[in-house]
Amino acid sequence: MNVLKTNKKLQKEFNGKVYAAIEDGCIILRGELSEWNDVVRACQIAATKYSKCHVVNDIKTSPPLFSVAKKYSFFDNSLDGRTPDVLIIGGGISGASIARELSKWDIDILLVEKEADLALHASGRNDGEVHPGIDLGKGSLKHKYIRKGNKLYSKICSELNVEFHRFGQYACFCNSWAKPLVWFYCLHRKYIDGIEDTKIISGQELRKVEKNLSPNIKFAIYNPSAGCVCPYSLTIAYAENAVMNGAEVSLNTSVLDMEVDNGQIYKVFTNRGVIYPKIVINSAGVFAEDVAKMAKDRFFSIHPRRGTNSILDKKAGKKMTAIASVKDLSIHGKSHSKGGGILHTVHDNLLIGPDAVETYEKENTATCRESIETVFSKQKMTMPSLSERDIITYFTGTRAATFEEDFIIEYGRKTKNLIHCAGIQSPGLTTAPAVALDIEKMAINLLSPIKEVKRNKEFNPIRKGIPSLRKMSPKERSEIIATNPDYGVIVCRCEEISKGEILDALHSPICVPTIDGIKKRVRPGMGRCQGGFCMPLVSKIIAEEMKIPLKDVKKSSEYANITFGCTK
Amino acid sequence: MKQYDVIVIGGGPAGIAAAVSANDENSKVLLIEREARLGGILKQCIHDGFGLIRFGEQLSGPEYAERYIKELNKRDIDVLTLSFVTKISKTKENLFYVHIVNKKGVDTFLTKALVLAMGCRERTSKQISIHGTRPSGVFTAGTAQHYTNLLGELPTKECVILGSGDIGLIMARRLTLEGARVIGVFEAKNTPSGLTRNIHQCLYDYNIPLHLSYTVTRIFGEDRLTAVEIMKVDENLKPIKNTEQIIKCDALILSVGLIPENEVAESLGVQLDNRTNGPVCDGQYMTLIDGVFSCGNALHVNDLVDYVSENAEQAGKNAARYVNSDRCLININSSDDFLYTVPQKLDINQNNSNVIVYFRSRKNREKTKFVISVDGKEFFSKKYSFLRPPEMERVEVDFNSFNLTKSSNIEFNLVNF
Amino acid sequence: MKELVCIVCPRSCKMKIEFQHGEIVVSGNGCKRGKSFAINETTQPKRTLCSTVKTNYKEVPVLPVRVSGEIPKDKIFDVMKQISTVVVTEPISCGDIIIEDVLSLGVNVIATSSILKEIIKENG
Repeated sequence: MNVLKTNKKLQKEFNGKVYAAIEDGCIILRGELSEWNDVVRACQIAATKYSKCHVVNDIKTSPPLFSVAKKYSFFDNSLDGRTPDVLIIGGGISGASIARELSKWDIDILLVEKEADLALHASGRNDGEVHPGIDLGKGSLKHKYIRKGNKLYSKICSELNVEFHRFGQYACFCNSWAKPLVWFYCLHRKYIDGIEDTKIISGQELRKVEKNLSPNIKFAIYNPSAGCVCPYSLTIAYAENAVMNGAEVSLNTSVLDMEVDNGQIYKVFTNRGVIYPKIVINSAGVFAEDVAKMAKDRFFSIHPRRGTNSILDKKAGKKMTAIASVKDLSIHGKSHSKGGGILHTVHDNLLIGPDAVETYEKENTATCRESIETVFSKQKMTMPSLSERDIITYFTGTRAATFEEDFIIEYGRKTKNLIHCAGIQSPGLTTAPAVALDIEKMAINLLSPIKEVKRNKEFNPIRKGIPSLRKMSPKERSEIIATNPDYGVIVCRCEEISKGEILDALHSPICVPTIDGIKKRVRPGMGRCQGGFCMPLVSKIIAEEMKIPLKDVKKSSEYANITFGCTK
Repeated sequence: MKQYDVIVIGGGPAGIAAAVSANDENSKVLLIEREARLGGILKQCIHDGFGLIRFGEQLSGPEYAERYIKELNKRDIDVLTLSFVTKISKTKENLFYVHIVNKKGVDTFLTKALVLAMGCRERTSKQISIHGTRPSGVFTAGTAQHYTNLLGELPTKECVILGSGDIGLIMARRLTLEGARVIGVFEAKNTPSGLTRNIHQCLYDYNIPLHLSYTVTRIFGEDRLTAVEIMKVDENLKPIKNTEQIIKCDALILSVGLIPENEVAESLGVQLDNRTNGPVCDGQYMTLIDGVFSCGNALHVNDLVDYVSENAEQAGKNAARYVNSDRCLININSSDDFLYTVPQKLDINQNNSNVIVYFRSRKNREKTKFVISVDGKEFFSKKYSFLRPPEMERVEVDFNSFNLTKSSNIEFNLVNF
Repeated sequence: MKELVCIVCPRSCKMKIEFQHGEIVVSGNGCKRGKSFAINETTQPKRTLCSTVKTNYKEVPVLPVRVSGEIPKDKIFDVMKQISTVVVTEPISCGDIIIEDVLSLGVNVIATSSILKEIIKENG
């Protein structure tokens, strides 16, 4: 990295308000700017794609633009004095999958998650695509793990009893002239980069399979290995399997600070007491930089990037059974916004999105009209019959991007009992199963000199999920209802969810007895009425089963009450 | 497998009335209801105003429902509660398999005719493009009503109501009576959506302000809702920039429209009318799939339950009399002055001597004549001193007297007089 | 002259009330009930009231009720207070009296559903 050259560029663009310096193998940016987009731009100028020499953003803004993790007011001592072998910070797909792979070993694993449930940020707020890697060239960690991750999905999802379909992905093009270029690109990807399932098909062939895609599409890159999964179901399944195998998951647990000495994390302060871990895994998503800082090992910066997805009614789900998007060649390569795509979900809805908007707010998941409009106008080029009228819900997530736009999967650079699993953004869901296996090895390497690490003889890779009655044959369904009549009582009419399934969720290994917790596990309220009919019924079931008053049933967090108590 | 002449799906006011009338035509009837008790949404509509036309009394919802349930119980009608229809399929012989699931397991019934009486559902915040965070405290009026009237729980202490549909107005009064503060009712249109009498007896009686041409655009709050943003809207209902206003409250209650439930109907290939969002039907309320009838709020959203019962009785009776025969359907063309008209077609092979026509005017109108003409010639008219979109109108028409043929062009029009 | 909207039925007639030679003259009403509503509104406005009362049955925590006849508009919240004090402990039916002659207004608060009775019957 030529820092002089960088500073020249920064001087030109920002008039000396920002400058770069190389310190400890990182590029530190300092100075002061007023707009967040300028901060991002300055860091991007200094960053080299996929480089291990990371940009650390110390640019001040006036007014100050920063966001800290939501703090919880409740404190207890439930974890005080815990001495886990491995402390995993963050209950997203990374943390959960790492916990599960580590549970193959006879070690004490504690996963802490600051939210009331798992997968509440990026892992639960993405499109659920299992990518083929067609956009990835050699040289990045993303590329290193993509094919392995993609392949592992069949095995992992069958072990964990999570629905997964290889629906295939079409990257569509409307300009015939681009075909030779794209053909060359595909050859390179296929034979050099190892994306071996890549092929090109004509517009006609494409529309034979997906008749609602635009007649303007001239040809498409087809990757049959692409698939879709429900990302929060997979995260929960991973974590449940870890718990079944002896790991502990502690929700509503915020890491507040650490005590680091001599390159070792000794104490981790949380709202539930002080934890004394042997090693720590940083899988804190958008807060990975904050965790690294607490661990005195900050050598990268995260710049959150918002993405909004819309879910369409199952009626629209019949329009397409794959993943498709038109590639706009005019902006290709310039923007991180791929303008999203259209995806047929495992639940047979259509998902449209996401877009990409830089933000300093790590946890701002509020949606806005403009995002939906942008994505729809783009995706109507893919499927002209797409209609905003079919929208049943929308949601926003923030990607935990580094300025190098690659993952950070390595040991702490200064702090030795630390492993970072950071900068995980798309295709992080796809790579997670493969990354988790590598981090498992890294963790065991770290632990082995400290203690004797043995296999967990009782490890059971198979998780039996909650039965999904609506997908059963009539015979199977009758049989299971005979064992438990509650399976025959439909509570959620849109998604056909029975009382029995809801009770199962309340008795699952990681019970989250809230409306959202149940919704994530068995889907009441996910359909077209968005819980209008079933929310009171689910509230009542939770209250009865947990033996709490109705007013104590929450939507999500402990402050998200639904009612204010008895009217009388 | 048990066989029926008529299977009615939905045990609300429409389904009960249809089952009773079908049974009175000596047919073997099965009524299937999803919930544990019959009565549908009337169970939670504890306010009065039901039955004025039907019984000449102001009854509450549960009272109205229980009167019909009594009638049902007097008859030899099979009723399945807590039973959910998972699928309907058609046989080659033009019969229908109805697949259900309940506590006993999965079961299938065969029937000659079907009456779809599934009612309607409420439009949600996402369907009207409200953005922001996703806290607790966003309820449709019906959900708030369920919490308040069936579970006895107060869903808000201080709320904003968006939409002036009747349930929203009723809930404004109800929540006020239970000690909550309703800051105001905001309506995007420049006229109220609910009945005028509800504006008076539910809002004005309790000093609840009604703000026309305003909408809610954004929701705030990480856990529980803390505030909403409202904006003024233009004549195309688009928010006007720089009119944002933040109102602190703990809940947003939505009464922004009802959508007939027709997913089961659509799975059978029943064609829907995009004006009513219910099935296209003929004068017998039979959909375009032979043997499948539709009634109540599944057919179109009614303003009064009394009309639901009446319409369902007709549908039930016709379903019982149904024999599979050739239909000769002709279109009823209604002008854009209507929000909708029902039925949309007539089967001229049927007796159409007393077809009940339902319509809503698109705009507020005074001194208006509802005119039916055939091939340009006026055959029927009825005068109204005023017509308003929230108030549905009902007219009985003897189409037999028009000497219809398959090439007849029937037109419905609204003209001023 | 005063204008008001009739709330007796959904037609919501717009009515005019005028005082001519000491007599109330109503116009715009669609029926006789409208006329008497208009006259009442000028002398003593009355309304009906519907609510729920608490029960000690877990499955039916509240039971719908209403007043058997109209009550003065300004007594609505007083009657609500009375209604809030009641807890139903018997499986009563629709029409049964819950509060007799509430606040000496000459009307009763009555149950508007037989759900309690039905549930008791079902559960034996």
